[in-house]
Amino acid sequence: MAEPHLEPIPFAAIDWQDTSSLITYGPLPDILRRSVQAVGLLQIPMLQGKPEGGFRVVSGSRRLLVCRELGLEPVTCQILDASVLPGACLRFAVYDNVATRLLNPVEKSLVLAKMLAFLPQPQVVEEFMPLLALEPSVTLLSRYLELLRLEKDMLDALADGRLHERTASALAPLEPADRRSLFALFGEFAFSVSVQQEIIELAVEIGEREGMPPAEVLEADAIAALRRERRRPTRHRAEEIRRYLQGRRAPRLTARRERFLRETQELGLPSGVRLISPPNFEGPQWRLECIFQRGQDLAHILRTVSGIAAQPEFQRVLEGCPISSP
Amino acid sequence: MSHILTMTYLPKRLVIEAAVAETALVRRILACYGDVPIAWVEKVAEDESALSDGQTLEVVGFPGRFVKSCPGTRSHLCCGYQILHLGTQCSLGCTYCILQAYLSGRNLRLFANLGDMWLELREHLGSSPRRVHRLGTGEFMDSLLLDPVTHLSRELIPFFAGQPRAVLELKTKTANVELLEGLSHGGRTIVAWSLNPQDLIRSEEPGAADLEARLAAARRCQEWGYRLAFHFDPLIAYPNWRQGYAAVVNRLGAMVDPGRIAWISLGTLRFMPALKEIIRRRHGGSALLHEEFVPGLDGKLRYFRDLRVEMYRHLSTLLRRLSRDLLIYLCMESEDVWREALGFSPVERGGLSAMLDGSV
Repeated sequence: MAEPHLEPIPFAAIDWQDTSSLITYGPLPDILRRSVQAVGLLQIPMLQGKPEGGFRVVSGSRRLLVCRELGLEPVTCQILDASVLPGACLRFAVYDNVATRLLNPVEKSLVLAKMLAFLPQPQVVEEFMPLLALEPSVTLLSRYLELLRLEKDMLDALADGRLHERTASALAPLEPADRRSLFALFGEFAFSVSVQQEIIELAVEIGEREGMPPAEVLEADAIAALRRERRRPTRHRAEEIRRYLQGRRAPRLTARRERFLRETQELGLPSGVRLISPPNFEGPQWRLECIFQRGQDLAHILRTVSGIAAQPEFQRVLEGCPISSP
Repeated sequence: MSHILTMTYLPKRLVIEAAVAETALVRRILACYGDVPIAWVEKVAEDESALSDGQTLEVVGFPGRFVKSCPGTRSHLCCGYQILHLGTQCSLGCTYCILQAYLSGRNLRLFANLGDMWLELREHLGSSPRRVHRLGTGEFMDSLLLDPVTHLSRELIPFFAGQPRAVLELKTKTANVELLEGLSHGGRTIVAWSLNPQDLIRSEEPGAADLEARLAAARRCQEWGYRLAFHFDPLIAYPNWRQGYAAVVNRLGAMVDPGRIAWISLGTLRFMPALKEIIRRRHGGSALLHEEFVPGLDGKLRYFRDLRVEMYRHLSTLLRRLSRDLLIYLCMESEDVWREALGFSPVERGGLSAMLDGSV
């Protein structure tokens, strides 16, 4: 096997379609463009000669693309012999990349998926997951592999940070139409990551119970109407969409919450006083929140609240009453 | 016609630790499963067990405690049950089974160092002879699933017959009671069944005996002088749950004498959040998760309390029609749910543990 050597390569000699060693994904970083413009190529790309002629990129594809974009040709590259096995080329690519930057989630998925073609799973888990700053775990490996099921627009969003990894993992097992529908909703409304996950779970669970795909759940008239009301603040509409889904998924809890709100309003608690139910009405611990400025204000509030607490209506609020099953 | 035949569990492999090779339990297992391939190992690796397919029966030496307290929580009233720990896992395949999330391995595992178990059990009962001990083997396994193989009932039941302040509860979803016939039980063994409507048994308890078989087995045990217990746990909300459970209670009343029932527990479906994903993955067709769940005080997901109260009230009303004297208790519920559902708190009656002890 010949030693690697340096050689100036014209772009026409590179087979850009051969992505067998490619692990980069995402837009070219502007900082790289500016760096090459300012001081030229500092790190030499690695190519491999192909038996049929020409070269495949092993490492440095983004550097080469920037050079091509800037018209810097030919580029001096390190050339690996054609006899170097594909698994070894891939290993060069991975180690070269992780030494200089943190890979994005799509790239991590690509590394793991491609490595599995050459190495047994335990080795991929033990050697490459820590290299990618991942916990070495078979479950996590499966989750990363599943990300590659996402459509290109979602992968793009995942690579550039518009789609969070946790949301992507929750979308990946779904059917493509359901993923698209949820992804579109998340593009429209700035839900937090945890709320995105909650919405996915709600749509899936409602769909399972009502015998329809999650995409159809999101087509509900109430959601469609909120999506159309563009004059209203997005934040308010997002919260209403979430509440609509919560109510549809958990009608008993929602009904109890609504009744609790109605009944506490009817109690006539003094201004600045709020009765807070136990979380999900589980357990006997209720809380009373009270805002006041002076001691005499507090004394007045406590006298009023004490009178209200003695009323049967107050007791009824605490007890609630079972709702019949739907 | 419903089956009342003994259900047989046939593993595809036996993995037996060398240290327990000479035990009586292993001899019985080998006599029963003569054709099943055996692997003799120094130690069953936990990692291997975690990746198991549930088709292997593991027979091991157990280094831990054989007697332990049921893991109650501070926020719920606990019945003070003690676990006699003889093995882990179950092959009945109930969709809701907590063991799917609680145990890493899927294989059934039996502890064969029963000499250690007897020593510990005797010591435990002897250390507090004035206390009432309610022990059961059905927490991490079905008490009678493997009894036709292990014959453990033939040792445990006579032993407890000689314990004036202890009872053994054998909890099962099988009809494996043949070996209980003719044993000298002295009224110190209670045979218990988990009950659910037949349509739920079909969909959610695929490997368990059907309702009629369980009740027929209970009737046989009653004829042999045993006292009985029943556990409506998990109570599952499904579209016709009221009618479904009413039918079960009717059949229960028709098949057994309520006067021979030591206790009946009620507990609605609850599970650790991790089980949700497992149910989805392993039992995709199950409708178990369709109902709404909220995190309870112990972090487990439960039905919303209004539904729980409604189910408890419905069941207790049905059961009280069989006999006003039935001892009905709620499993892992808070005092306020007790009051709302049954109209009293065990605290008023000396505590749940004392209530159950009084029935022993």
